[in-house]
Amino acid sequence: MLIKCIYNELLKIAYKPRSYIGIAGIIIINAIILFAMKVDGSFYISLVTGQFEQTLAFEGGILNGNLVAFISIQMLIIHVPLLIAFVTGDLISGESAMGTIRLLLTKPVSRSTILWSKFFASAIYTLAVILCLAFMSLTLGKILFGAGDLIVLKFDGLVVFQEQDINWRFLCGFSLAFLSLITVATLALTLSCYSENSIGPIVATMGIILVFTIIGSMDVPVFDRIRPFLFTTHMAAWRYFFDTPLQTKAILHSIFILTSHCVVLLGIAFYKFNRNDILS
Amino acid sequence: MMHLHLTHRMIFIVLFYSLSFSAQNPRVLLHLVNAKLSKAKTYSVDVEIKVDLPYITLQPIQSKLYVKDHKRFKLDTKRIAVLPKQGFLQFNTLLTDSIHYTALFQAFEIIKSVKTVVINVIPNSDTGDVILAKLWIDAINQVVVKTQITTKSSGTVKTEYQYGSQTAYGLPDKIEFLVDVKKFKIPKALSADINTSGTAKTQKKTGVIQVLLKNYAININVNDSFFNSDKKN
Repeated sequence: MLIKCIYNELLKIAYKPRSYIGIAGIIIINAIILFAMKVDGSFYISLVTGQFEQTLAFEGGILNGNLVAFISIQMLIIHVPLLIAFVTGDLISGESAMGTIRLLLTKPVSRSTILWSKFFASAIYTLAVILCLAFMSLTLGKILFGAGDLIVLKFDGLVVFQEQDINWRFLCGFSLAFLSLITVATLALTLSCYSENSIGPIVATMGIILVFTIIGSMDVPVFDRIRPFLFTTHMAAWRYFFDTPLQTKAILHSIFILTSHCVVLLGIAFYKFNRNDILS
Repeated sequence: MMHLHLTHRMIFIVLFYSLSFSAQNPRVLLHLVNAKLSKAKTYSVDVEIKVDLPYITLQPIQSKLYVKDHKRFKLDTKRIAVLPKQGFLQFNTLLTDSIHYTALFQAFEIIKSVKTVVINVIPNSDTGDVILAKLWIDAINQVVVKTQITTKSSGTVKTEYQYGSQTAYGLPDKIEFLVDVKKFKIPKALSADINTSGTAKTQKKTGVIQVLLKNYAININVNDSFFNSDKKN
């Protein structure tokens, strides 16, 4: 029954034009990044290596598909949560607004099953967005620029990864990015349980992400205690896979924080959804 | 027996005086070193580059290095490698250009139990990039053991050479560059390293680039176009 419900939810997502905005956004932004790097990639490279240009010369193909993919993901991963919230924030509140939630709940399926199906459908949608991002950045990047070593620009220096050491890092990075996006999807779904119009949960999710990101990026001691517990702090955790040595402890901590958020938010969503009076 | 002893003595005296003469006449010594190097016009060599630099993390890489006329070189690799901007073949240029530089004998110095002649090379004009070059030359083997080249653009680069298989051509088996690296600092926005705060941990400012060279192929044919081919970046 759950699988059938998930299938129905996926159909609903597929029939909504807004579901394609996120994917279209990723395709367009990626195409712009690929075009910019193809035309003016050397300028970006000079930003990366410029600090050392007086003393050191970098040999080999720095501008390659792996670097372009890394730049694309770095730029897009900040914006993808907003695109995810656009769809997942509408899953329950949208039905409340249209009045179809009443019809949905008259089915011989428990409310929990319906909510689970919406959660899994949003997870599948998120996965589709991540796969689209991976295809556009990695596959197209490698086709256009070729493969090669990856030079990662960090706050305190440069790290160069060998070509054969990159793919697993991208795979793990995308998996952790997927978990962080699932957290956003769960937040939007939870807020969706509290609203009868779709705009509210979407804007609220975006607002929360914005506020938490600002708190996270401010180097002010007063936020030091809460910063590690904000899910937005761990949305860039995928970059830990591009550290050497690998920061296993930090990765596990991020996975724990993000999973904890998902569990708590889902708990709230189930509590609310199971007790909701359907008045629409 | 007496005659043989006398011959040995004569050889020693001639060698001693010739070395002392070349040492006191730095141009002659530079010419001898250059003549030795000139035996190998174009060569290729397998290189392993190990980098220990502040602010840069890079695994060792293996590649092939092509050198032509000791002036042009190309590292044939798709891997990312880091080399010092100055100093790789710079002393060769100084050796061949005897008109625009003045060579001055400074002292004798022992480096790793090798007696070397220290020669200062000063450009006659102040418009060039090189300000001062200091060369430590093993006068017996006629090879450069150490250099310290100060340029306007790159500061000072110290280089040490170790010889083995190709001493006859004056080509080293190991080169070690000691380079100064300026403090690395970039805006967070560019690195997008949003969760990192504070300043860079490392305080080290000098680093070492070690180049191990083996399997020399000397006086091979390599087209000029090979050296002119565009780099990917």
